[in-house]
Amino acid sequence: MGRALRNLFVAGCVLLWLIPLYLLIVNALTPAGGYTGTPDWAPRGFAVLDNLRIAWSEAGVGESFLVSLLYAVVCGAVAVLVAAMAAFAVVVLPVPRPAFWFWLIYSGTLFPLQMFLAPLFGLYADANLYDTRLGLMLVYVAWAAPFAFFLVRNQMTTMPPEITEAAMLDGASFRRIFWRIHVPLMSSGLGAAFIFQFTAVWNDLLLGITLSRSPEVQPVMAALMTLNSAYASSGPPVILAGALIVSVPTLLVFLLFRGLFLRGVTAIAR
Amino acid sequence: MSETLSTARPLRARRRIPTRTPGRASGAGAARGRLGSPGSSLLWAAPALAFVGILLVYPFFRSVYGSLFADNGFTSEFVGLDNYVRLAEDPILGRSLINTVMWVAGTLLLPVAVGLLIAVATYRMRLGNLATLVIVLPYAISGASTAVVWKFMLTSGGAVNQVLGAVGLESLAQPWLLEWPQNTLSLIVAGTWQATGINVVLFTIGLRAIPRDIVEAAHLDGVSGWSMFRHITLPQLRAMTVVVVGMAIVNSLKAFDLIWVLTQGGPSRSSETLALTMYREAFRLFHVGYGSAVALVLSVIVVAASWLYLRRQMPGGTRD
Repeated sequence: MGRALRNLFVAGCVLLWLIPLYLLIVNALTPAGGYTGTPDWAPRGFAVLDNLRIAWSEAGVGESFLVSLLYAVVCGAVAVLVAAMAAFAVVVLPVPRPAFWFWLIYSGTLFPLQMFLAPLFGLYADANLYDTRLGLMLVYVAWAAPFAFFLVRNQMTTMPPEITEAAMLDGASFRRIFWRIHVPLMSSGLGAAFIFQFTAVWNDLLLGITLSRSPEVQPVMAALMTLNSAYASSGPPVILAGALIVSVPTLLVFLLFRGLFLRGVTAIAR
Repeated sequence: MSETLSTARPLRARRRIPTRTPGRASGAGAARGRLGSPGSSLLWAAPALAFVGILLVYPFFRSVYGSLFADNGFTSEFVGLDNYVRLAEDPILGRSLINTVMWVAGTLLLPVAVGLLIAVATYRMRLGNLATLVIVLPYAISGASTAVVWKFMLTSGGAVNQVLGAVGLESLAQPWLLEWPQNTLSLIVAGTWQATGINVVLFTIGLRAIPRDIVEAAHLDGVSGWSMFRHITLPQLRAMTVVVVGMAIVNSLKAFDLIWVLTQGGPSRSSETLALTMYREAFRLFHVGYGSAVALVLSVIVVAASWLYLRRQMPGGTRD
């Protein structure tokens, strides 16, 4: 009996979790003009390509999609590189007071974003970085680097120091040690950090709506929000198609690199 | 290369205590002076320090300082702690605090407790991995997309009311997003859909770490079912539970995207949490100083909650 109850519970949960996803897909298939006012539970028509096209080009999600791809790839990569160098300094090199530097960098992930927003806005207005791609990229790197630093540093402390010592006695410079020993040996850890930060930057809304305004700068989640209010009257199919578009990259990354992705999340639990 | 390595060996043998910092340990070694001085080592951390220092640490202190001013974006006047006094008297902030507490409590009740149940139920179950995968899937979706999907579920003509009507519970159908406290509760449910999966993953890791022999010994003593869960599983999961609870509380305090896209904190600011109150005050109403004061209060709560799980595993921290 216990087993039957357990199976029932799990099946019920899975069903509950699938319903929103199912409705998302089914109703993104409904022709944009043909929405009846209540959700469809079975596919009606196959206008998904039309809806996707409207969301992509007319509603401007496409432009933001490409910009966000740039933000997420470049900022994720730069943040991981910057974080790996800092971790190298704190773990391997003779930096005075490594704990102090650790906390200084790590504190960037502790606080809610709200704590930085108002001064950032002022800073950006003064420096003419408001509503520029460069401005958003800089803040995304700063925002992504601390947690990447935490992940990379955790892994770096598990590397035997003898490896570095041997290389140093062979006369290798620190730059060489970093690029030839640490980066290759930690490639999976760096990959996990990149995937995690790629997802974080892609999914960001708050920095995007605070520090940008124009469609060619706004990241994709801000564009989805604009779409959500602009198409509120014409019904959900186009909006849901937009939600589908913006979820594809992170879902793909998650399904392809599930192990690496979850390593980022679970690192804090070890 | 092998030559230099062989000369290295006796040197290593002499140093009996291994240190974690090879750079410092071999201060008398081959690379001394060339690149290993403390100053030049710090250069490696300089890019990270520049990014974090200019774009996070400086704004942090600027926020603390700015919270002492009545600032509307154009003029600013020093008012001391007036913003904080206003906080205590503001009825909107009172509602916002209640909502924040509801989010924290709801997060412990739903994503954490349900996550634990699902983890225990799917552990070593046939197709259990597949079930976990389905439940984790929304975690890869952004808060904004989750909000769009759930808006579709929760509007008056949405899927939830439709289902209630179909099973003969029309009386329960209602405008979920338009009245307090239903709107906050509905938002918490939407958040549960997104956040439970990660807790299942974490609890499953915890379950895998329980030593086999403890479970087997309990089995031999005839322990099973509920008492196994209560007296063996739960105590063994204690360390992981602390982490999950801490992370869940912090995430619920930071929740912004979901609420902002679903209700914008409304109607008439009834579903705002502190995270939204700060944004609305600072960027919609241009009460920048007041917004900064709200941000500082939120930060203090977040850091206190983070401390729950962070102190376990930080360098130089108390790991006990």
